[in-house]
Amino acid sequence: MPVMTIGEAIRDALRGELARDDRVLVFGEDVGKRGGVFNITQGLQEEFGEERVFDTPLDENGILGMATGLALMGLRPVAEIQFIDFIWPGFDVIASDIAKYRFRSGGQYGVPLVIRSPYGGGVKGGLYHSQSPEAIFGHLSGLKVVIPSTPSDAKGLLTSVIRDDDPVIFLEPKKIYFAVKEEVPAGEHTVPLSKARIARSGKDVTVVTYGYMFHETMKAVEALVQEGIDPEVIDLRTIVPYDAETILESVGKTGKLVIVIEAPKILSVASEISALVAEKAIDVLDGPIVRVTGWDTPFPYALESYYMPNRTRIIRGVKKALSLI
Amino acid sequence: MSKETQTPPSLKIQPFTEEPIRFIDDEGRPVGEGDPAAVLGLEDSHLLFLYEAMVRTREIDRMGWILVRQGKAAFYISIGGQEAAHIGSLYALDPEDWVMPYYRTEPSLHLRGATLEEIFGQILGTNTDPSKGRQMPGHFGSKKARAFVLGSTVALGHVTAMGVAMALKYRKERQVVISYGGEGSTSEGHFHSALNFAGVFQLPLIVFIQNNHYAISVPRPRQTAAKTLAIKAKAYGLPGYYVDGNDVLAVYAVTQTVVDQARAGGGPALIEALTYRLDPHSSADDDKRYRSTEEVEAWRRKDPLIRFRKYLESKGLWDETKEQELRERIQKEIENAVEIAENAGLPDPREMFLEVYADAPPHLLEEMQELLQEIQESRQGGK
Repeated sequence: MPVMTIGEAIRDALRGELARDDRVLVFGEDVGKRGGVFNITQGLQEEFGEERVFDTPLDENGILGMATGLALMGLRPVAEIQFIDFIWPGFDVIASDIAKYRFRSGGQYGVPLVIRSPYGGGVKGGLYHSQSPEAIFGHLSGLKVVIPSTPSDAKGLLTSVIRDDDPVIFLEPKKIYFAVKEEVPAGEHTVPLSKARIARSGKDVTVVTYGYMFHETMKAVEALVQEGIDPEVIDLRTIVPYDAETILESVGKTGKLVIVIEAPKILSVASEISALVAEKAIDVLDGPIVRVTGWDTPFPYALESYYMPNRTRIIRGVKKALSLI
Repeated sequence: MSKETQTPPSLKIQPFTEEPIRFIDDEGRPVGEGDPAAVLGLEDSHLLFLYEAMVRTREIDRMGWILVRQGKAAFYISIGGQEAAHIGSLYALDPEDWVMPYYRTEPSLHLRGATLEEIFGQILGTNTDPSKGRQMPGHFGSKKARAFVLGSTVALGHVTAMGVAMALKYRKERQVVISYGGEGSTSEGHFHSALNFAGVFQLPLIVFIQNNHYAISVPRPRQTAAKTLAIKAKAYGLPGYYVDGNDVLAVYAVTQTVVDQARAGGGPALIEALTYRLDPHSSADDDKRYRSTEEVEAWRRKDPLIRFRKYLESKGLWDETKEQELRERIQKEIENAVEIAENAGLPDPREMFLEVYADAPPHLLEEMQELLQEIQESRQGGK
């Protein structure tokens, strides 16, 4: 199997789907000749032509409106938003059209489309190149939100969402676009949606995470294991609709829950999973649920390293959950 | 009647006129040389078809208001006064073309093959609504009629229609899409995005603006300092047409011209139809707070139905007896449709959980069970 980065795996998925299905179109700002500001779409326009892979005007609202209309007509648009922080001019299209089309038309119309976008901190991007707004999209009833944390999942999940009949926000952890490498299945590779991955089995505490935070969590786990603590790590992969069953089963085994995300805490994915477990598994819990998150502030530029949860903060969170501190 | 007309090659319609393009004046008299019907290649049967379609639209509208007064519909949003602007433009389309309605378009969509039971099902929120009562009145859409289902945020349809046009271009179809909106919709960013992208990609999109003078209470000059809305097209590199929206023949002529151009690969266009909303914005509006009775009365005299009827009468095609017969026939159709729609019953609550996603995920199935339990318990408790 070829060894790939997340960025290369995403490109591989796009190339595979462009080749397999002529309904797939890839477009956005700078995705053509430039190959995207992160080089993700590099070479795709050359390979598939300007009708399939193209640049748009600098207007996220137009990009998203275009994607919606294409999907209404049965095409499979994959729109790139250069940074998720730039998506808000098109929020009406997402919240009012994309999330609601199937429902509001009584199932007459659907909009199977993918909005790909880099998200998250750790690249010195300041307020507007660093945010993690996954919960905002997850709250809109009708969207799917998917976040890979490994190259293999990046390829498999992106392939699955392009083939999925629902609209999906696919968020790519930009800090690790080219930092993580692993073997990725060549050719056709899909990963089922709404199915979490148990990345490490353990008996003492359940840690739920996704995206870049998955890797920080694994660093923390290394240290915790040294201290004789045996965490179970769940990589959520699909944020909405998420895999409640895997989480509840794990907590049933460990009795402890920690959620690690880089987004702010209030009304977050961490809050949702906390509530799920509190509602459905309070009887098996034997410690406090702990949310390790970014602070409830806008994302700071100079103080980035103080903002994002790191190994130390995750270790503290796990120890809190185990009532060790 | 299937669409069989097209504008003759000799017809030259110019964009960016100072005054609205018109073919008949307020009294139904021809403007310019020759009989407009002959100039446009329309036969008597076409003219009568257009008139009947406008009358049907008006009568559906009237019934909409009655249903609110009867307490059967929660809300109604009017089309009264804008029938020519809708029917004249819809008439220029082929059945294969696509329509992005706005909230006043609903009563006119019978022209696209939507049945009256479907339209009243939408107004009443019952099972004859193709969208299963998911939205408040005024939000009709039907895949069968190739009409999309609009949302309520103004102008959103323009930018989505642009994407539809992109799909048509990509697939090399000869269809076009027309997107309706009021003059207020030209202030939204969606209008800009739609025209800008449509110009860049040369898409078969027609944005049709119904300038009815008011966005609820806010008058047209508060939307833009531009002299007309049509000239906004210029900055996007498109033709913009300014047409008398109460002249069904002029609306048809202009729309058919741009449809033909778009079909031939000539790209998008903007149309501004100057018209007037004769009724309040909706059943929740009080228009006396922002416009005078005199102003409304002056426009009532320019009612597009009266005007076209006068034209038909001048050609010896229409009289009071025919008018009575037509109104009675349509009235019966409508009463019958309302009865069917009312008796169709409310949509099944289960379905709302099943149509959020293509396949309902576990959490929605769980919520569905919770609601069904609640319904069952309240039935038992209500004994």
